[in-house]
Amino acid sequence: MKNKIINILKKELREVFRDKKSLAMMFIIPIMIPLIVLGMSALFESQMNSDNTVYNKIGFAYNLSSKEEELIKSLEIDKTLGTKEELEDSLKKGDIYLYITKENNKYTLNYNMSSETGGYASNIANSFLESYKRLLQNEYLLNNNLNPDEVLNIFEISENDIASESFFANYIITYAFLFIIMAITVSATYPATDSTAGEKERGTLETLLTFPIKSRDIIVGKLLSVTISSIITGILSLILALISFKIANNMFTIYETLPITISISSIIFSIFVIIVYSFFISGLCIAIASLSKTFKEAQSALTPLTFISLFPGMIAFMVGIKSSILMSIIPFLNFTLVLNDVCVGIFNYNQIFLMFISTIIYISLIIWYIIKQYKSEKVLFSI
Amino acid sequence: MIEVKNVQKKFKKQISKKEEIEFYAVNDISFKADSGKIIGILGPNGAGKTTLLRMTAGIMVPTEGSISYDNLNFKNNEIEIKKNLAYLSGNTKIYESISAYELLKMCCEYYDYPGEKIEGRIKEIAKSLELESFLHNKIANLSTGQTQRVNIARCLIHDPKYYILDESTSGLDIISSQIILDFIKNERDKGKTILYSTHYMEEAENICDYVIMINKGTIIKEGTPKEIKDFTKTTNLRDAFFKLIGGLKNEK
Repeated sequence: MKNKIINILKKELREVFRDKKSLAMMFIIPIMIPLIVLGMSALFESQMNSDNTVYNKIGFAYNLSSKEEELIKSLEIDKTLGTKEELEDSLKKGDIYLYITKENNKYTLNYNMSSETGGYASNIANSFLESYKRLLQNEYLLNNNLNPDEVLNIFEISENDIASESFFANYIITYAFLFIIMAITVSATYPATDSTAGEKERGTLETLLTFPIKSRDIIVGKLLSVTISSIITGILSLILALISFKIANNMFTIYETLPITISISSIIFSIFVIIVYSFFISGLCIAIASLSKTFKEAQSALTPLTFISLFPGMIAFMVGIKSSILMSIIPFLNFTLVLNDVCVGIFNYNQIFLMFISTIIYISLIIWYIIKQYKSEKVLFSI
Repeated sequence: MIEVKNVQKKFKKQISKKEEIEFYAVNDISFKADSGKIIGILGPNGAGKTTLLRMTAGIMVPTEGSISYDNLNFKNNEIEIKKNLAYLSGNTKIYESISAYELLKMCCEYYDYPGEKIEGRIKEIAKSLELESFLHNKIANLSTGQTQRVNIARCLIHDPKYYILDESTSGLDIISSQIILDFIKNERDKGKTILYSTHYMEEAENICDYVIMINKGTIIKEGTPKEIKDFTKTTNLRDAFFKLIGGLKNEK
């Protein structure tokens, strides 16, 4: 590496490591990762294991038959009897989550569809009514000398739910890696702003330009320093994420069907993705911040980047987009998808290679753009 | 020798959302600055002094014309020229988060000063400018005068052949200004070439060997202070300037 680039790098790193705000961005943001992983795991676990009896408070606005009473008892429904008006009032007060009315042979479930408790209670009420219907059908068929199994169970449906538990784990893993990407972005914005717009605002850029250093070397030195601070944040976040997953794996049953693979190759590839992303986002931050006249202006210009780094990954997860050749060249999305894959032990080398090559192209374009900016008097002297 | 030949600098100015006008901040300026001389660039604020000196220092590119240092130009020999150049302006700031020592060391590295000689050079400069007592203090904690001395040290550290000093005493108290003026005279006596811009006419009269008066981007008169005073039949450069521009009324 050229001496001048090292000199600029030393100067920039010294400023980053002496600046409390830069250090805070670099080291404090990763601490959020364990909170997210363990907190979300605990939340989902409690939701998974939540006892249905919590939502079993159901009102009946009609006289129950003895068979219904038996069924209520067997399903452990906490029944409340009353008139429609009384039950409506109880529902509003939250004493019950649902009440059933009956008119001739029509049962109506009354509950607040938008509430979580109402949804669970409707499942219980549906189950109760289905069971009661089946009971009456069986009785009718037996009275007419027919085998209920031959009529009602012509075929059998069985469900083998292999994803219900790993969905939560997948959700947490994806969000944790999205957060790592976001942490790297946030960590890049401050030093990028300080070394470009900040330097311009403080008046030291003019000094720097009088030294016998090429604009290209100044930019590469600045880019490397911002990248290094982003890499530190990224690796720290990754370490904390992996430790958190290890702990969560042992603590919570939601990870049973999706154990987190923490192999050496997973770690190496994850670090590789972090390094590539750090270069990309640092270049982008410097390119945007160098156009600003003041530190504040640069910070405002960079704020959307934090969200932009997060959204493609979030949307991809929500609509179920998986890593593919095409996705490997889409900035932001490719890093999240590849990072997610390698951390659970999926190594698609073609996609990793494509992500790498496309990022090199993006970084080259960004550096070319910044060099152009650093030759523009309009940008340097705000004239 | 610094040679500035027919230099022009055109800027665009936005006067409304849709309209912008072009104007010359510097228009067809030529001069030569020989070694061992202090060349004063005099003019009021907005005359084009800073733009001219920024172009001369290679941090701005002229729209037209050429600038050369001993026949070397910025296009082909930027690094070589800048290694022999020191630029100090009233707007030039130095890194405040580091100490004076760290700054000087950093400058030595930027100028490719031999590694084994850096410590000795810093000691030498610190002694001559009396920086020793605050050499390891953070620049942010220094007084204005001390900071300016560090700034001078930054310019001296690589022993340049050329100095470009743009309003470097602007806003400084009398003691700090005198430190800079003494430093300029010393460097001139060592045979260095100094371009010195100011709007303080008395200051220029005291230290400049040759004066170039500019107004609205063009040279209105050049010569030794005596030649200008004789030509305008005035006793000082301030009066000479007003006589050359046709009085204050014309400016208004």
